[in-house]
Amino acid sequence: MKLASPPGTCAVRLRRCRRSFRTPDGGVYVALDGVDLEVRAGEFVALVGPTGCGKSTLLNLVAGLLQPDAGSVEVFGEPLVGINRRASYLFQQDVLLPWKTAEENVMLGLVFRRVPREQARRQARAWLERVGLRGFENRYPHQLSGGMRKRVALAQNLIVNPEILLMDEPFAALDVQTRQLMENDLLRIWQEERKTVLFVTHDLEEAIALSDRVVVLSAGPAARPVGEFPVELPRPRDVTEVRLDPAFGDLFRRVWELLRGEVLRAFRLGP
Amino acid sequence: MRSGWAHNARWGLRAVQAAVFVLLVVAWELSSRWGWLDPFFFSRPSSVAERVVRWFATGEVYRHIYVTSLETVLAFLVGSLLGVVVGFAFALSPGLSRVFDPYVKVANAMPRIVLAPIFTLWFGLGVLSKVAFGVTLVFFVVFFNTYQGVREVDRNVLNNARMLGATEGDLVRHVLLPSALVWILSSLHTSVGLALVGAVVGEYLGSARGLGYLIQQAEALFDTTGVFAGLVVLAGFVLAVDLLVTSVERRLLRWKPPAHVEEVV
Ligand SMILES: Nc1ncnc2c1ncn2[C@@H]1O[C@H](COP(=O)(O)OP(=O)(O)OP(=O)(O)O)[C@@H](O)[C@H]1O
Ligand SMILES: [Mg+2]
Repeated sequence: MKLASPPGTCAVRLRRCRRSFRTPDGGVYVALDGVDLEVRAGEFVALVGPTGCGKSTLLNLVAGLLQPDAGSVEVFGEPLVGINRRASYLFQQDVLLPWKTAEENVMLGLVFRRVPREQARRQARAWLERVGLRGFENRYPHQLSGGMRKRVALAQNLIVNPEILLMDEPFAALDVQTRQLMENDLLRIWQEERKTVLFVTHDLEEAIALSDRVVVLSAGPAARPVGEFPVELPRPRDVTEVRLDPAFGDLFRRVWELLRGEVLRAFRLGP
Repeated sequence: MRSGWAHNARWGLRAVQAAVFVLLVVAWELSSRWGWLDPFFFSRPSSVAERVVRWFATGEVYRHIYVTSLETVLAFLVGSLLGVVVGFAFALSPGLSRVFDPYVKVANAMPRIVLAPIFTLWFGLGVLSKVAFGVTLVFFVVFFNTYQGVREVDRNVLNNARMLGATEGDLVRHVLLPSALVWILSSLHTSVGLALVGAVVGEYLGSARGLGYLIQQAEALFDTTGVFAGLVVLAGFVLAVDLLVTSVERRLLRWKPPAHVEEVV
């Protein structure tokens, strides 16, 4: 076995990963096959691909919530066993606990780490303020808007100070303005804390505006990365302004050409 | 504007409800006075009221209320505790639920009243046999709801908690138990009601104390007035318990989005 890059520089590495699911009619559906992917420490990688191709499945592999049928997942050079303790995961779905307030939801990770309540509460307040939710500490999730709930979930993820941030279409359900605000927030936090980010999105513009590298996943079954595009736009970025950069449009066209083919293929193949 | 209207509508409704009550009582009283109803079989509201007042005045009814409350509370607590524990065990261990599934189904389908004589035999005529009887009623409601509540927890919610570092114990405490509690609370009226049914029916079938005993005793003496007076006290008791349950429910389900319509007709 030889190492392509010295350990420590590579936060996540998937090698020849396959993952299949049982279908209701008793068959087997191979969602991912032959997936090779590396994410360097501190890098912001965006993952795009047609709907249903296996983006969430790939994140679940990295999170340790699913195990690959074949191949291996390494985190900072070590094979992943069980849950990935160095990562946090912002889910595609709403996963706040409805019976806990915004503040209690945010402090959950610290409670699990047995941090004293008062200290956890203070930190949770600070994080809520950082995501622009000062004054909403005592609201229950149903009393918050969809965008606010996503912010709470983001704070809930960041408070545990993960080295790797897995994000599954976190801003998909938001209106354009809220979304751009949150994208900028995320970039600022990422810039300050230099986390490794693996960011799944449907939206190619979002992928380019945020990331260092865009990875395109092919249509399923047996989806795998079929293209990688480094994004060489200057940082720090503002997601609205960066779209006006001519290099942005160039890159967009090049990635879209590949992605469109996959989207059409997914559409024709059906599920 | 709207809430003012709702307010009026509510009071209007209360007025109509009260009017129906008064009308029925007056009709009953007059029919009995005018000889349309035989007071031996039907008594009359004024005698019933007099009896109830006397019970409270002499204080003899209090020990019956006390015993019935005690049995209800114990049956509810023990039945709920067992229901939660067994419900959790079944939900978390598929093997267990597979093995015991037929037993649970049969036990639940069995009319529990046939157990009352056996419990009297085992536990005597006192409080214990009524509690045991009530437990067999409460247990299944709480058990099924706990089981359902734990099984219904969203997988992503669980995974999110796991990613945040939850141990199995944390999952139970912060996710599974509260989720089951929603289901258990939604059936709180039913389970408390069943605890009360267990107590009263148990007393009725054999005891020396309690509201069920009071009614049974009056019935044995063909004392219709006593039976009705017992029913009135029981109804008041049930109402009080129900109000208590509602307020507990409100408090524990504060986090829930309110049901969209106020009780406006
Ligand atoms: N638990 C499961 N059981 C069976 N099939 C599954 C399961 N999870 C995912 N799949 C299948 O695997 C494929 C990939 O699913 P996945 O959720 O990873 O897609 P996705 O790229 O995240 O889609 P989207 O963009 O719509 O979120 C889909 O065809 C889906 O039907
Ligand atoms: Mg997905």
